[in-house]
Order: sequence, then structure tokens, then C-alpha cells
Amino acid sequence: MVRPMFSFGTRWLVAVDTIEKILTAGERQADEVEVYLATGTSVTARLRKREISYALGSEHQALSLRVIRGGRIGVSSTGNPQAWEACLDAALRSAALAAPQEWDGLPGPAENYGDFVNFDENVVPDPDRVREMVRGMEEGACRYPVEIVSGSAEISQYRIVLANSRGLYREDRESLVSMGLETIREQSTGYEYGTSWKMDIDPGSVGEKAAFLAATSHGGKDIPTGTYDVVLSPDAFGQLMAGSFLPALSGRNVHTGRSRLAHLIGQEVCDPALSFIDDPSNTRGIGSCRWDGEGTPTRTLHLVEKGVLRCFAYDLKTAYQYGCMTTGNAVRSGMGGGIAIGFHCMTLDGPRDEILEKDAIFVHDVVGAHTTNPLTGDFSVELANAYLYRGGNPEYPVRKAMLAGNVFEMLGETGGLSGEEKVVGCCVLPSIRLKNQKIIGN
Amino acid sequence: MAGIRYYDIRHVKGAISHIDIENSRVEAAGTTFLDRAVIRVLGPKGWGILTVDRFERPRGKKFEDLLSKASALASLTGEEVTLADAPSGMIPVPPKKTDPLAIDLEEKGRLLLMIEKAARIPGITSTRAGYTERYEDVLFEDSCGNEYTYSLVRSGYSILAVAGRGGEMQMGYRRRHALQDFPLDNGQKDGETAARRALALLDAKRPRGGTMNVVLDPELAGVFAHEAVGHASEADLVHEGSSVLRGKIGEQIGSGIVTIVDDPTLPEFGFEPVDAEGSRVERTIIVEKGVLTSYLHSRETLPAVGFGHTGNARAMPGEPPQVRMSNTYIAEGDSTTEELIGECREGILLCGSRGGQVDPGRGVFQFNAEYGYLIEHGECRGMVRDVSLSGEILATLHGIELCAKKRKMHAGYCGKGGQTVPVSDGAPHVLVRDAVVGGSGHD
Repeated sequence: MVRPMFSFGTRWLVAVDTIEKILTAGERQADEVEVYLATGTSVTARLRKREISYALGSEHQALSLRVIRGGRIGVSSTGNPQAWEACLDAALRSAALAAPQEWDGLPGPAENYGDFVNFDENVVPDPDRVREMVRGMEEGACRYPVEIVSGSAEISQYRIVLANSRGLYREDRESLVSMGLETIREQSTGYEYGTSWKMDIDPGSVGEKAAFLAATSHGGKDIPTGTYDVVLSPDAFGQLMAGSFLPALSGRNVHTGRSRLAHLIGQEVCDPALSFIDDPSNTRGIGSCRWDGEGTPTRTLHLVEKGVLRCFAYDLKTAYQYGCMTTGNAVRSGMGGGIAIGFHCMTLDGPRDEILEKDAIFVHDVVGAHTTNPLTGDFSVELANAYLYRGGNPEYPVRKAMLAGNVFEMLGETGGLSGEEKVVGCCVLPSIRLKNQKIIGN
Repeated sequence: MAGIRYYDIRHVKGAISHIDIENSRVEAAGTTFLDRAVIRVLGPKGWGILTVDRFERPRGKKFEDLLSKASALASLTGEEVTLADAPSGMIPVPPKKTDPLAIDLEEKGRLLLMIEKAARIPGITSTRAGYTERYEDVLFEDSCGNEYTYSLVRSGYSILAVAGRGGEMQMGYRRRHALQDFPLDNGQKDGETAARRALALLDAKRPRGGTMNVVLDPELAGVFAHEAVGHASEADLVHEGSSVLRGKIGEQIGSGIVTIVDDPTLPEFGFEPVDAEGSRVERTIIVEKGVLTSYLHSRETLPAVGFGHTGNARAMPGEPPQVRMSNTYIAEGDSTTEELIGECREGILLCGSRGGQVDPGRGVFQFNAEYGYLIEHGECRGMVRDVSLSGEILATLHGIELCAKKRKMHAGYCGKGGQTVPVSDGAPHVLVRDAVVGGSGHD
């Protein structure tokens, strides 16, 4: 028996004590100072074939500072909060280099917004629990004749403080559970994963799905080049959206001339059946939150409503710069990451249906989605775990084929969404049926 | 200590600085200070690993406590890990040509702005330039008594130009990274090149996809060597059973003119003076004249898989080592580029890279070119855009018919298992028969 060995202790208390010192020192040299302090622990078990090859425990600390002086913004971060003076100096030097911009202040103090949104105190970085998760995936995978290639399970807890010189002080806690398994049957591979902030993922189901994908993709057949209706899984759809459509909804890309959706507010940009909503209160999203990365209260953002583009996402910097209002969409990337415009929990609404009842190619995964042209949305990706469906049933797996098209255009004519959804990065997405897509077969 | 067969510690301190310019304004600049350590303990079976921010190497009882903590994690493991005896020793770090750390932030901002301004020619509607500089002080020690310290600095820039016309947009992109050097003071030509390419792409066609002959330029052929062959030769993937190259040592896996090498000793962007577990770095011939000869290894994979030598364990600061490539390339042939185009007859010349991905278990890869040219009657014709190459690794290797004489390396970053490390890859121009080209055009 190995007991949980990581806990928030004196390091955290010492670190919080430095926040006041940083704010005091920073205010002497800048108009405003912001401190973001994150401390976290995690435990990971890594599976190779059917045995755990390593177990890893991590203790993270990150201090990220932002200073504003005369409208010039400087940032700096460090993994050693005790070295905050050097970090503050670097932020001030960065500010001196930055071009001045309109700036109307960081958020001030506000009411407490209640309990933590994506934190479960029962999610404890416990080596025994990650071992159980790994074993559960293994057992699930046994239901199909495949080999386990690798897998991992991880439990994390984070504690975050955001404070600024205008008196804002917010504490947050987050938990994260993730697991994934990769399997193979001869040259057919399968990968499945699950992510949540609470212990509600069934490891057996993750393992079974990974094995199902490898087993059922075996013995695939070629399909001829042509036009097909395609059903993309949440994973395949999410990867394609992340490359071009979601960035085009960022106010920064709109105002700097890098969004195809700029100037289209009020116009139809996709199938009138679809709505894209960033919902920070979604209880499944791992990025859901009551306040954003710079302390602005978050709100539900109806970006695309029944096919019509309604608004873009903003943080404070971009909003002040271009005379707009922040939408509370500042997100921080990683432990000590800087601020960028992003989404807390992007969801897709539309007609739910049995979208595989009519003939289609179902695509579970794609290879190369990140090579999508981020400006135009043009893409061509290799299909992975794809199946030809006829009469509502899988007829055979597709051995090898490419899907080529344009992300913006493919959303123009869709055929419904699945009832089931999956957490995919910052999104909670269903599967989607797309009409008349170009498949390059063999 | 009881139950501990081996330990090592890799502690990295340093800083990453960046400057971002958008449309002639310095929008952001900043520094991230690194101070992370990874402590590995090999227990009776597998590894127990700790990663710690703000690491101070303890002594005496506190050090034993640290090892005990990692050892407790190792007790979870079931895989019987055996480490190969590996040659140790560090090769010299190349001297700095120009030291980026000696140049102040304002001067870097000024030089980046000049590159960005060079891209602002008529027709360009948006520009973005970025500079990144990373220095690392690395300290390594292990229970065998090996100790290494070294410092490296890498820096580079990128320039993106967006051309717009009638609601349509296209982008041109150039990047340059260097080891122990400062490429920023010589980059204005790249700004103009990115801009002119973006403008030209407005008039380029989307090609019709299908099976055809292709000529890959050195950058894209280098990506092929890296994505399609390099990853599949990483012995951790071979050991797990997720590489199409498993069990193929000694087999003819490609055409007889293909030789593929990984060499961390080259003073390119993927250089390492010693690998992340203290093993001496060496050149590896992965494929020689079409025959698979070696895999890339760590100390752990060599006994498990065989065929090759240690020296390819690499890691991000504070992360456990993985088997990784360094500087990977297809060796030169004896043809001219013109001969390749002529032999291709009908097809596409694919140029530049927008990235790629591989499923090594399935043996399938996909990567995207930045632009290309139709080849008709053995000559380059009109420009094409949004064209990609995908295929099966082994079939594509067999389809390589000619390699040109001049090889060129390109620097970049490679992701695997959540870690990103600097690499370079390269090749001469390469002619591939019957490749699968992706494009969404209809004529």
C-alpha cells in the first residue's frame, strides 16, 4: 500500500505570503500589477503493454506577473516564486519594450462567486487510485482480441490565486482526472481517453473503447474517391474546429486581420440549425469557471446563434485596444502561462438525431488536423478508425482514405448532432453529420 | 539504498524570452524563468519519478528522503526494466557565433520590427512576427558517478504575412531557428519572401487530390524522414508494438537509394552534447540503401529491443526522458533537381511544411505543404495551395525513385508524449512515385 504522498503544505503558505510583497513592490514601479500564483500536485502511472513502467509524482509551482505602465504591458513568469524580484524586473523590462495602448484598468474586487466550479475534493493525487484506473482500462481492453501498447492515468489538484493592485483577490481550486489507452491489432490501432474534474470516468469503458477501435478497424477495405456524407466523432470534429473555426472567433484575430469571420456579424456563417455557445457554467467542462484568467466574471457567450454570427470573444487587452468590452474570455495556458483569448467550454447546439441511420462514413479520428490552414480553413486529413455505415450498421472499416475540404464550408450543410457528447479539450462536443464531403480513397 | 538499483537527477535552470509584433506594434514581450528537476529512481522493477519546481539539491538524510519518495512510487510498477551499459562522456558544445544573451531586448525588438516591416508590401493586410530565445543550464548526475553540466542557447524568429483580396485571405510564413547563434540580424529577406508568397497564393489553385508522382522539396522531404521514418524507428514505440518497423531489421523497407540518418552530434538545432540520461551521443544510420539497420534508443529500450546504441534519450526541463530524434535527414543522392522534375513528368512539386503527424503503429502519415507547383510535361507550371501528402510509410519509401545532390536542414520543434524538443530535419529534393496527394480542388 502506498499512501498519498503529496499535499499542499508550507510551500503554499510561503508563496501566498509573497503576493502582498510583489503587489507592494510592483505598485512602486508600475500603474498596475497582477499576480497569478498556481501550485499543484499530480500523480501519473504509465502503462507499457500490460505492466506499469513508471509512476511519476509532480510538485508544480508557477508565478506569473503582469505589469501595466503608461498603457505598456509586460509579463513574466517563473517556476520559483521565491525569485519574484527577478520576475518582476523582467516584466517591467518587457513593458518598456511594448507599444502603449488604451488601458482602462484591471478588474477590481467583486463579490465572491460561490463554490469552485471544477473541483472535487475527493480527487486526490493518490498512487493507488491511478494504479486502479490503469488496471480498470486493462480489464476493459480484454473484451477484444488486441494488444495493449501503452496507456496512462493521472490525477491532479491545483490551487490558484489571482490578485491585483486594484484589490482583486480570488482563490480557486481545480482537480483533473485523465486517462487514455492505446491498443493495436496487427496494423490497426485504437486510442481512447477520458478527461474530467471528478471521478466519474469509467476506466473499463475507456479500455473497452480503445480495444473496440483497434479490433473493429482490422481488415479494412479501400473505398473509391468520391463524395460521401461523413459523421465526425467529437474527437475528429474537435480537432478540425480547433485549427481554424475557433481561432476565427477570437476578437484578436478579427481585429488584426487574421479571421475569415471578421465583418460577418449578423450574417449566416454556418448551417442555420447550429449554435456555438461558450458556456463557462457547463458542469462537464474542464475549463469551466466563474471568473476568467484576469478576474473578469465569465458569462455564457452565444457566438453563433442558429447559424448567424453574433459576437466574438475578448480579453481586456484586446477589448481596450479596439474599443470593445471584454467577454471574460481570458484564459491562461498551462501552469505559468500568459493570457490569451480562449474558450472555457465551447458547446454546439442543434438538432439531435440518430445521425448514423442513413448511409455515411463514420470517422472516429483524423491524422494531421493541426495542419489545417488557420486562415482559410482548407484541410486534408488522413482518416483513422473510419467505418462505412449502410442501413444504420457498420458494413466494413475503411482501410485508408483522406478527407479534404474547408472547415467553414463543411459547416454549411449538416445533418444533425448525436445525443451523446464528449469532453474534448476546452469543448464538450457531440458527433456531427456533414453532407457531401470529399473523400480521396484508393 | 535498499531497493534502489539506480538513480539520476537532471536539473534545468534557464529562461525563455519572447517578443510578439502584430501589425508593426510590439504587442507582447516577456520572460519565463525555468527551474525544474526530474529525479528518477529505478526500483526492483520499474521507475519511480519525481518532478519538482524550484529544486535545491539536498544532501545527506534529506537526499535519502527524496530518493525514498521516488522509490515508493517505483513500488507501483510491474515492468522489469533493465538498463544497458552505456558509453558516457560529453562532446563539446559548439561555440557561440553571436550570443543572443549579449544583445539587449530593445535591439532584438528593433531587428524583429525590421523583418516585420519588410513584409508590409502592397496587398499585405496583416503581419505577425515573433522572436523566441531559450537558454538552459543543465546539471546531470547519476548513481554511477557521472556528472555533467553544460549550457546551450537557441533562438529564432517567425514571420507571418497575410494577403487579402476581395474577402479572400492567404498566408506566407517563414521561420529561422539557430543553435548558439542569433539569426535575427539577418532576416529581412524572410519578411519579404513571406509576403510575396502570401500574395502569390491568392492566385494559386487548389489541386485535385489523388494518386500521383510528387517531388518533395528539402523541407518537406525532411518532414517525411522525421515523421514517417524517424518516429517509427524510436525503440520505445517498437518495444510497445506500435511501430510498423518492428521486426524489420535487415529488411529492405525502401528503395535502394534511400539512406536515413539521425545525428545528435551535428551542430544543428537538435544538437545534444550528452543525452538526457547521461549517455554519449552518436550518429545512427536508421536506413542504409533501403535496408532498416538500427532503431533509436535509450538505456532502457536497448536491452529490450536491440539493434542500435544508446544516446537518443531527450527531455523537456523537468520531464522524464523519452526516446527522441535529434537531427534527422535523408542523405544526398546524385541527381539534379531539374532531373527530378523532368523524371516526374506529371505531378506536383510540394514545398515547405505546415506540419505533419504519423500513426507509427498503423504505418500511416500525413503532412501538409505550404505551397506547391504543378508539374506538367516535366516542367514546373502554376502554383497550387493547400496540398498535402499522406500515405503508408513503407509504400512511400519504396516509391522514392531519385534523390538530388544538395541537402538542406530545417530547424523546428517536435512533440511526443506531451513534450516538445528542438529538432532539425532535412533532405535533398526527392522524387516519389504514386504518392497520395490531398487537395480539395475539383479541376
